[in-house]
Amino acid sequence: MTTAMTRGTTKIWWAQIQAVIRLEMKKTFFAKRGLWIYLVAALPVFLFMAYAVATSGRQHQSASVARRGEKMLTYQDLMAVKPGMTREEVVAILGKPPVAFHWGENRPLGPGVTANVLREDYHYSDGQNDLFVGLADGKVESINIQNGDNQGQDSIMFAGVFQFFFLRLAIFFGCLGIFMNLFRGEILDRSLHFYFLAPIRREVLMVGKFLAGLLATCAIFVTSELLQTVAFLWHFSPSAREVYLYHNHGLEHAAIYVGVTILACVGYGAFFLVAGMLFRNPILPAAAILIWEAINPFLPGILKQFSVIYYLKSLCPVEIPSPPGTPPILALLISNTDPVSAPVAVVGIVVVALIALYASSLQVRRMEINYTTE
Amino acid sequence: MSIPVNAPASARIVFEDVSKFYGEILGVNRVNLSIPPGITSLVGPNGSGKTTLMNLMTGLVRPSRGRVEVLGYQTNDPEHLFAILGYSTQFDAFPKGLTGFQFIYSYLRLSGRDAQTAEQMAWRVIERVNLVDAAKRNIAGYSKGMRQRIRLAQALAHDPKVLVLDEPLNGLDPLARSEMIALFRAAAAQGCYVIISSHILHEVDVISDQVILLSNGYVVAEGQIATVRGEIQEHPTQILVRCTRPRELAAKMLEDAHTIEVTIHKDEKGVLLKTRDADGFYLALNQLATNGIDVESIAPADDDVLSVYEYLIGNEEGVR
Repeated sequence: MTTAMTRGTTKIWWAQIQAVIRLEMKKTFFAKRGLWIYLVAALPVFLFMAYAVATSGRQHQSASVARRGEKMLTYQDLMAVKPGMTREEVVAILGKPPVAFHWGENRPLGPGVTANVLREDYHYSDGQNDLFVGLADGKVESINIQNGDNQGQDSIMFAGVFQFFFLRLAIFFGCLGIFMNLFRGEILDRSLHFYFLAPIRREVLMVGKFLAGLLATCAIFVTSELLQTVAFLWHFSPSAREVYLYHNHGLEHAAIYVGVTILACVGYGAFFLVAGMLFRNPILPAAAILIWEAINPFLPGILKQFSVIYYLKSLCPVEIPSPPGTPPILALLISNTDPVSAPVAVVGIVVVALIALYASSLQVRRMEINYTTE
Repeated sequence: MSIPVNAPASARIVFEDVSKFYGEILGVNRVNLSIPPGITSLVGPNGSGKTTLMNLMTGLVRPSRGRVEVLGYQTNDPEHLFAILGYSTQFDAFPKGLTGFQFIYSYLRLSGRDAQTAEQMAWRVIERVNLVDAAKRNIAGYSKGMRQRIRLAQALAHDPKVLVLDEPLNGLDPLARSEMIALFRAAAAQGCYVIISSHILHEVDVISDQVILLSNGYVVAEGQIATVRGEIQEHPTQILVRCTRPRELAAKMLEDAHTIEVTIHKDEKGVLLKTRDADGFYLALNQLATNGIDVESIAPADDDVLSVYEYLIGNEEGVR
C-alpha cells in the first residue's frame, strides 16, 4: 500500500470514528437509563457542598463571636490559655467572654457526698479559630480549640473521598454503565445491525465506540471532579485558598486528580468494553472486576499489574495515613505498600487498556447478529 | 439444476458447501449457489433458511462450514463488502432518537462520506422511497410501511451493486409495492444483483429472473422458473390451448399416449391438458392446426412459482 493510499484510508477511518462518536454521544448523553450515572458522579459534589455549607456556617459564627469580643484576638492569644488558670487570668488575656454560659452542677465527692460546683463555658474566637474554655469553680478545667482552616486535614478528607468513593465506586460503576452498554445495550435494543451493515471495519467501529464512551465518562467525571474541587475550596477564605492553591500544591493536586480521573475512565472503560462483548449479564463481570480490584493489595506482584487501581493509587497525590490502631488488613487496603513511579503507572494503565482493547477487537470481528439468542 | 452462468466467478454471489447451525438448530445445510445479476428470489416457508442465507451473504452471521463470497469479497470484510452491498433487514429496531433523515445521513457518514455528500445522497434516496414529508420526523413514530421504506432507503442509499432485501414488500400498500417493484427492476436492468426473499409467490413470479426454493434449510431448486419447472419430471406439464373446436381437439389429444388428462375449459373455448411430453404435444398440435382446428393461443399453465413451489415443497405453512 502506498503512503497516499494509507493516508486516504486513515482519513476515512477517522471520518468513520467521528461519525460513530456523534451517534453514540447523542444516545449516551441524557439517556434515561444513564441518569443514575450523573447522580453517582454528583454525590461527592453534594458531599463537599454540604461540608462547605456547614463549615461556612461555623466560620460566620466564629466571625460573629470575634466581633462581639472585647479585644481583637490572635491565634497565639487563644493558645495562651492553660488548664488551671483562674477566671480572672483568662479574662485578663482574652477579655470578657463574648459567649458565656454558667450553671450549677452537683459533683460526687465520695460515697453519699456531693458538692455544688459552679460550671462556666466561655467561647472566644479570633475570627477563624474557636476556643472553648470550660471552668469549674472559677478555674480552667478543659480547653478545646477548633481550627477554622485545617487544609492538611481537609486535603486528606478529599483524598479519601476520591480514592475510596469516586475512583473505586463512582467511576467504576459509571464506566460499567456506559462502556458495557456500547455493544450489549444495542444487542438488547436489537439495533446493532445498523452499524454492522455499514462499510466500516469492525475494529474502527470498536475504537469509535470506545472513544465515544471515553468522551462521555470523561465529560461526566472530570466535570464532577472539578466541581468537587470548587465545592471543597468554597469555605476557604480567599487568602487561605490562595495559599492552598499556589503554595501548598493545591492546583497541582487538582490537575493530578483530573488526570487520574481520565486514566481511570481509560482503564475501566477498556475493561468494561470487552466485558460487555463477552458476557450477556453485566453483573457477573462487574462483580469479578470489583473483587479483583479490591483484593489488589493482597495479590502477588505480577498479578497486581493487571489491575487498574494498582496504577491509579500510585498516581494519587495525597497519601492517606492509617489511623493508629487500624487493623493490619484494613491498613493494607488504605495504604499503598507497593507504589510505582508516575510514568510507570501511566504506561501501565495504557498497556492494560490496550490489552483489553485488543481483546475487544478480536471479539468484535467474531460478533454475529443473532438477537433471538439474547 | 443450475443458473446459467456467463460471468466470471468474481462477478457472482457464491456459496460453497455452506452450512449454518445455531447450536443444534439447523439454519441452512450444504448450500451451493452461484447467483448471477438480476432479480433472484428466495422462496420458502417460515424457518426454511431464507433470512439465514441473507445474513450469511452479508456477514451478519458466519458460516459453520463452507465459504461465502460476494462479487469476490469475503463476507468478513464489511469495509469493502458494504461498499457494494445494501441490506434491508427484517429487524424492526432503529438507533434511538433518530429521524428518518438522520438515520440515512448517519449511515452515509458512517461509510466515510463528507457531510455535504451524505446530505445530498440522503435526500435523493428519501425521495426515491417517497418519504420526503416524513423525513424530519422521529422513526419511532413511523408506520410499519414507512419503517419498511426507510430500511429500503438505507439499503439503496449508497447505490450498491448488490441489494439484499428481506421481505421488502411487507407492510407496503399496493401503490408503494408497485413503485418498489419498479425500483428493483430498474436496479436489475442496470446490472445490479437484487436478492429478495418473499412469501408472496405471485409477486415473486412477476419480478424474478430466477428463484431459489428453500425448504428446511436445504436448497430444493434454483434457476429460471421455466427451467426449474421443465426439470420436474414427476408432475405432467399443464398446457392451456385456446381454440375454435375444443372437444374435437380434446378427443384427438387423448389418442396421444403421453396425454394424461384433458379438460374442456368452462367457456368452451379452450382445452387444459396434462402431458408428459410437452415437445411431442407441440408437434402434434401443429398437425391438428393444419387439419382445420384454429388455435388462438398456447400457454403453459403451471410454470409459475406457485406451481413449482407446490410440486417441490407442498402447501407448507406460511406461504401464500
